[in-house]
Amino acid sequence: MRALDLKLLRDLWHLRGQALAISLVLAAATATMVMSLGVHRSLSETRDTYYARNHFADIFASMTRAPRSIIGRVAAVPGVRRAEGTIQQYATLDLPGRVVPVRALLNSVDEYAGNRLNQLALRAGRMPQPGSPGEVVADEAFANANGLVIGSQFDALIYGRKQRLRIAGIGLAPNFVYALAPGDLIPDDSRFGVFWMGQKALEAVTDRTEAINTLSLTLERGASEADVIRAVDAVLAPYGGMGAYGRKDHLSNAFLDNELMQLNAMTRVIPPVFLLVAVFLVYIVLGRMIRTERTQIGLLKAFGYSDWAVAGHYLKFALAVALMATLIGAAAGIWMGNAMTQLYGQFYRFPFLQYRISAPVILGAAAVSFAAAALGALGGMRSAVSLTPAVAMSPPMPPAYRAGLVERLGQAAGFSATGHMIVRHIARWPGRSAITVLGVALSTGLLFATTQFLDSSRTMLDAFFFRAQRQDLTVTFTEPRNADALFALAQIPGVLRVEPVRGVAVKISNGHRTERTAIESARADSQLTVRIDRDGSAIALPVSGLMLSRQLADKLAVHAGARVHVEMLGGRRTQVILPVAAIVDEFIGERAYASEATLESIARDAAPVGAALVRIDPAERNRILTYLKDLPLVLGVTEKTAALEKFEQMIDENMLTMIMFYIAFASAIAVGVVYNSARILYSERAHELATLRVLGYFRSEVGIVLLGELALLVVVSVPFGCLIGYGMAQLMTAMFSSDLFRLPFAPSRASYGWAVVIVLLAALGTAMIVARRVQRLDLVRVLKARE
Amino acid sequence: MSRGEKAGETSAPHAAFTATGLCKVYRTGETEVHALRGVDLTIPEGEVLVLLGPSGSGKSTLLNIIGGLDRPTSGSLKFGQTELTELDDADLTRFRRANVGFIFQFYNLIPSLTAHENVRLVTDIAAEPMDADEALALVGLAERRDHYPAQLSGGEQQRVAVARAIAKRPGVLLCDEPTGALDSATGIHVLETLARANRELGTTVVIITHNAGIAAMAHRVLHFLDGRIARTEVNPQPADPEGISW
Repeated sequence: MRALDLKLLRDLWHLRGQALAISLVLAAATATMVMSLGVHRSLSETRDTYYARNHFADIFASMTRAPRSIIGRVAAVPGVRRAEGTIQQYATLDLPGRVVPVRALLNSVDEYAGNRLNQLALRAGRMPQPGSPGEVVADEAFANANGLVIGSQFDALIYGRKQRLRIAGIGLAPNFVYALAPGDLIPDDSRFGVFWMGQKALEAVTDRTEAINTLSLTLERGASEADVIRAVDAVLAPYGGMGAYGRKDHLSNAFLDNELMQLNAMTRVIPPVFLLVAVFLVYIVLGRMIRTERTQIGLLKAFGYSDWAVAGHYLKFALAVALMATLIGAAAGIWMGNAMTQLYGQFYRFPFLQYRISAPVILGAAAVSFAAAALGALGGMRSAVSLTPAVAMSPPMPPAYRAGLVERLGQAAGFSATGHMIVRHIARWPGRSAITVLGVALSTGLLFATTQFLDSSRTMLDAFFFRAQRQDLTVTFTEPRNADALFALAQIPGVLRVEPVRGVAVKISNGHRTERTAIESARADSQLTVRIDRDGSAIALPVSGLMLSRQLADKLAVHAGARVHVEMLGGRRTQVILPVAAIVDEFIGERAYASEATLESIARDAAPVGAALVRIDPAERNRILTYLKDLPLVLGVTEKTAALEKFEQMIDENMLTMIMFYIAFASAIAVGVVYNSARILYSERAHELATLRVLGYFRSEVGIVLLGELALLVVVSVPFGCLIGYGMAQLMTAMFSSDLFRLPFAPSRASYGWAVVIVLLAALGTAMIVARRVQRLDLVRVLKARE
Repeated sequence: MSRGEKAGETSAPHAAFTATGLCKVYRTGETEVHALRGVDLTIPEGEVLVLLGPSGSGKSTLLNIIGGLDRPTSGSLKFGQTELTELDDADLTRFRRANVGFIFQFYNLIPSLTAHENVRLVTDIAAEPMDADEALALVGLAERRDHYPAQLSGGEQQRVAVARAIAKRPGVLLCDEPTGALDSATGIHVLETLARANRELGTTVVIITHNAGIAAMAHRVLHFLDGRIARTEVNPQPADPEGISW
């Protein structure tokens, strides 16, 4: 090994603490990249393979009822490669020993040939057999959550009829990767399950012999999705077609896309913060190293080493740090990627989902780390190159301090001599002081920006579950009903209040912009449902016209006062022009609202009640739920507390895991910055500190001189950190928002507090480690040497 | 009240320091270096003592031990009635704070502090210090009080170091090669300041030097060799530093 490389190894060992501290910051960037890019890759590749292998459809449509023969007509539409019709039917299950309502979505499957689109991936057992009407394949997650196995039997209320079901197989399908019950935000495997039932059997139990209510189709390569949708809608119109839609609007696929989008957003926002800090750290550490090794640099050059050999030596130091960071970061990223992928596996059902270690991802992350380290080394390399041997071997100019602004401030504040030492040293190294402030501020900012996601979710939760929804149960009916159904519910002992809600599927257009959504209405005097604006205030439904959620209004590019074209999907397919009366800032989904009268003017039907909101006496809960399970008009029951619990569980498990990662990462920044600043300070000031000790200063007093400067910088960084956090959090909530969720920016003071406290603790702990060196100051040796 | 504070208050009527059988052994790996090999010494109050000898003969080690910067491996060292070898680190710090002024070859001023503030470093923590300006005036630098070390010549910097050392009115001034980095005129100026402190404040002064000429200003000269006092010279008529030949 060359002597210069030996020196490199020994330098690395000598500065191991500092090198490790920088490595940790860089490693955080690498880990985030390896995790999020790796999970993104694993998730998207798994999705693509699953979709391809199991023939996930390109276009989906549902209708009230259509003859099977319609499939041939749809298949004949130019651009359609394959079309398949099925029956989908919601049902209520009566699982043995369960009080809570369990909802099921039954899908028909060809008993003879199996489905050709959205194919079932059978995990165990077999497909339902012809002639065994009660046989079903159960969704794997639902079976697991409810302890169901092959052979398990239970009653189901399907289309108002009781039918005994028996599990013949367990499986999953690509159109239910994210299986969400209507009205839910998060999958609840214990209360909602997807089932596949023989086509003939489902036809029989739903009175749909040779009829279908759902269509899936795939497209020829190069076919226009929009053209096909238009043609399919025209074919299905007479059959109560609800409007065909592509994968983008397919709920399961949209949630998956949303997740992938968030992973991408994370990669774009978080690693740059670490990289920036790492660049600065390398810059200040190498800068100090080159100042202390000035004489050695002079000697090397005098011996005949070229400028580039010397500069390369310091570059290698930085690259060695990057190598260490890559090893630590890749290992941490793979570990975290595994953990994240397992978390995803709880919400997204794939037949196989494994975090795959991806060489391109790791190499890419390594390249970024190396580039950041090299960038940080540039300044040091330049000063190493520019030192001539003669200059390098003469002692450096003594640091020149001058009376300046700081001086006058210090005098005015009546600083002690040590106080002046602290303040003037900061002023002497403004760049480095600024880097310390910026580094600690970024750490605080990142912590805040990540922890405030909890506030954001809780605000959303609060608005959705507590302010907007005040019912205990939502009861959906098998088909639209009139007021009699409400009366039937109101008669149940323990039911305190019943209110109707109604939704009509529509297409809303403004010029060429079109969105599929539902217009919802409630009673004007509703006590159980309210639209809540961003600031938490309730907004009344407009007397006439529509109220659009901000999300929907943005997509349609309309403001209050504009007029939009509304086309009812299914039913009478009414088309009307309506004014946009108001915009409501909501967090979840793209929704539209109208008064009962307005909705009636669109739908014009006699059975306006699709669902009921119910408030109950908690003491009667179990009796009411049991009663509802057997009520033929009831399609399903959603319990608000269950949805709320599920949401909170998701926040606790999923979000807290992520936030713990980021607390560790952000602390790594604080530790890295403070440790390096403290070590540099210590090395610069060892002589002065020893002098103070000789003059009779106690270790604690000397420690204050050492740490006072850092403490001051850290304190100064707090407000900057909060500002940076504020900006980052706004950016991140915006980037993490999608069609499905619009994350509110609603940070609590506690989040600022936590960010500051965690950073201060990390800084304090790190500083204490360095302060212990004061104990080891060799007074005699330091003072014998010329500084 | 701690031992250290007692150490600060106690002043022996005659002997400032009494060393008995002082030994110091440095261990570096396998090798042992005997820096002091049983030094017996009494330094009376108000004495100017010069330590002469080649490098490695033990003078600096003795000075550091007397100043409470280092500890002997064995032997006893009393400051007045206080046994210094029994003091812990905090008490040694109190001892230095109260009693000892140090002057080094390379000044050891704080570059970020002005001359006045460097002296204040000591007056801020001493029990009954003189005014920092008074100390600077004693070394003839009153008008340079607001200059930073980088703006002062070597001699001026050393005089600031002397002002800083005497500002606390220490019982003893320990000087390690105080003129080693100075030219003769400047060096004499510094020595005059030390002699003046001895004369006017009654401060005991111990000077390490390679410069045998300086021995002329001492009451007593100790010649060190191989960690022992090889020879002691008593100077009944100490010379004024002005008359010292360099």
